[in-house]
Amino acid sequence: MSAALDIDGVTAGYGESMVLRDVRLSVAPGEVVAVLGKNGMGKTTLLKTVMGFLPARAGRVRIAGADVTGTPPHRRAARAVAYGPQDRAIFQELTVGENLRLALPRGVRDMQAGIERLAAFFPFLASRQRQRAGTLSGGEQKMLIMARALLTRPRLLLIDEITEGLQPSVITRLGEVVRAERAASGIAVLLVEQNVGFALSVADRYAVLARGEIADEGPADADAAARVAAHLSV
Amino acid sequence: MIGLLLDVATTAAILFVVAAGLLITFGVLKIINFAHGGFLTVGGYAALVVTQAGGSPWLAAPAAFVAGVVLGAAVERVIVRPLYSRPLDAILATWGLGIVIVQLITLAFGRGTNFVPSPVSGAVAAFGTDYSAWRLIMLVVAVLLAAALAALLQGTRLGLEARAVIMNEELAQGLGIDSTRVRFVTFALGAGLAAFAGALITPLLSVDPLMGVPWLLNAFMLVLVSGTSLASLGLASLLLGGAQVVISTYGNPVLGALSIVVLAAVLLRIRPAGFARG
Ligand SMILES: Nc1ncnc2c1ncn2[C@@H]1O[C@H](COP(=O)(O)OP(=O)(O)OP(=O)(O)O)[C@@H](O)[C@H]1O
Ligand SMILES: [Mg+2]
Repeated sequence: MSAALDIDGVTAGYGESMVLRDVRLSVAPGEVVAVLGKNGMGKTTLLKTVMGFLPARAGRVRIAGADVTGTPPHRRAARAVAYGPQDRAIFQELTVGENLRLALPRGVRDMQAGIERLAAFFPFLASRQRQRAGTLSGGEQKMLIMARALLTRPRLLLIDEITEGLQPSVITRLGEVVRAERAASGIAVLLVEQNVGFALSVADRYAVLARGEIADEGPADADAAARVAAHLSV
Repeated sequence: MIGLLLDVATTAAILFVVAAGLLITFGVLKIINFAHGGFLTVGGYAALVVTQAGGSPWLAAPAAFVAGVVLGAAVERVIVRPLYSRPLDAILATWGLGIVIVQLITLAFGRGTNFVPSPVSGAVAAFGTDYSAWRLIMLVVAVLLAAALAALLQGTRLGLEARAVIMNEELAQGLGIDSTRVRFVTFALGAGLAAFAGALITPLLSVDPLMGVPWLLNAFMLVLVSGTSLASLGLASLLLGGAQVVISTYGNPVLGALSIVVLAAVLLRIRPAGFARG
């Protein structure tokens, strides 16, 4: 079976400067891979290249075996890929319900079942669909990003620093929903994080990105935290 | 007094119809379409052609709308889309296109002034006064159009996608929305509305190759003060169009014709967001 995501020797960047150099990383179906790294190491750039917002200057990106290098972002999303960006990730002026609805593929209208499933974790979703998303608390906005990404049961989830600035109780809940969705539908996840504890608690594997290259990778086992800490401290 | 109020309302109505297409195009494509005046002129000539061919004057505006949509669709595909990543060049291209449209119309129809018959003539008794029947119909059409646009934006999937693209195009794309398609449909609709407006005003004004120029100027200023909100555009049309009517009636018509441009410029100076929130 082909990988849910295969980043095959990808080089990418902005203008003349290359932020990622020859990055190789793949995520098997049902696997959760954490991408760790300090500020400015290229984590967001990696997700943007996977989604097609930035062109890969070298290498290929494959989603479920299909080479998507060079295709626009909406085509990649149509391959059951959900993306939760780090910045400006919700439509502040739209309602909670409209934000969710935008994740539905064209022609699909009903999202009731998905909302009920996710409201088990984030109860406000069911009761506050008509509220403007910009008036949600910071934690609720992050839960909305996660819920919108999971609504249609994607096969691949790309999520960028969802825990940034959140209280521990909300982080715990976000971890629970990722585990539950993975158990239920075998979703593959590429989880970009700075919160190492959270990342290793949900991931099967980790990769450390340093100056645009994979500096270390391995299973998210008992020694992983120490190995990651060594990389992040240098 | 009633007459003056009706003048204000009907002037605001037609300004709104002319500027609405420019506004939605600006919101979704983030460019001002300077061919909007050209599309409006095409609508005026579409009305001329329909009526000269023996068609009912009632068919003029619907036919112009269809012609505008088809023309807009072609222009988006051939001229605007290849320049998406260079918005400044796209704006210049629409400017050039506006000039080309005027030249082509002059070649085909000559420089002369033409008149299109009105579907209705004369005045009717309204609110205790006699008032132009066609201007009243325009007012009703503008209100219906505003309601239809609001329903399209608020009540349909395409409208939701358009609002998402206006607010944050990259986020929309990441959710699977084909923003190229949204841009295409919006531009075609905007051109259709321009042509529709061009036909709608023909019973009041003569048709000539340069008829679009003052409308483009006024619509441009109205969009600048309204941002991307149809509600703000309604308000701006009412206040600035009202000022135009009052200045033309009590002052002088030449000043009146300039009033929207001048007042909008002053307003932007005082309050850069204009009538838009923020
Ligand atoms: N739009 C851009 N144009 C030019 N350079 C950029 C742009 N976005 C990011 N960079 C640069 O690329 C490098 C990697 O940035 P990136 O956002 O991928 O890092 P990151 O690992 O996601 O950081 P953080 O943890 O702070 O989110 C940084 O040096 C950054 O300054
Ligand atoms: Mg980042």
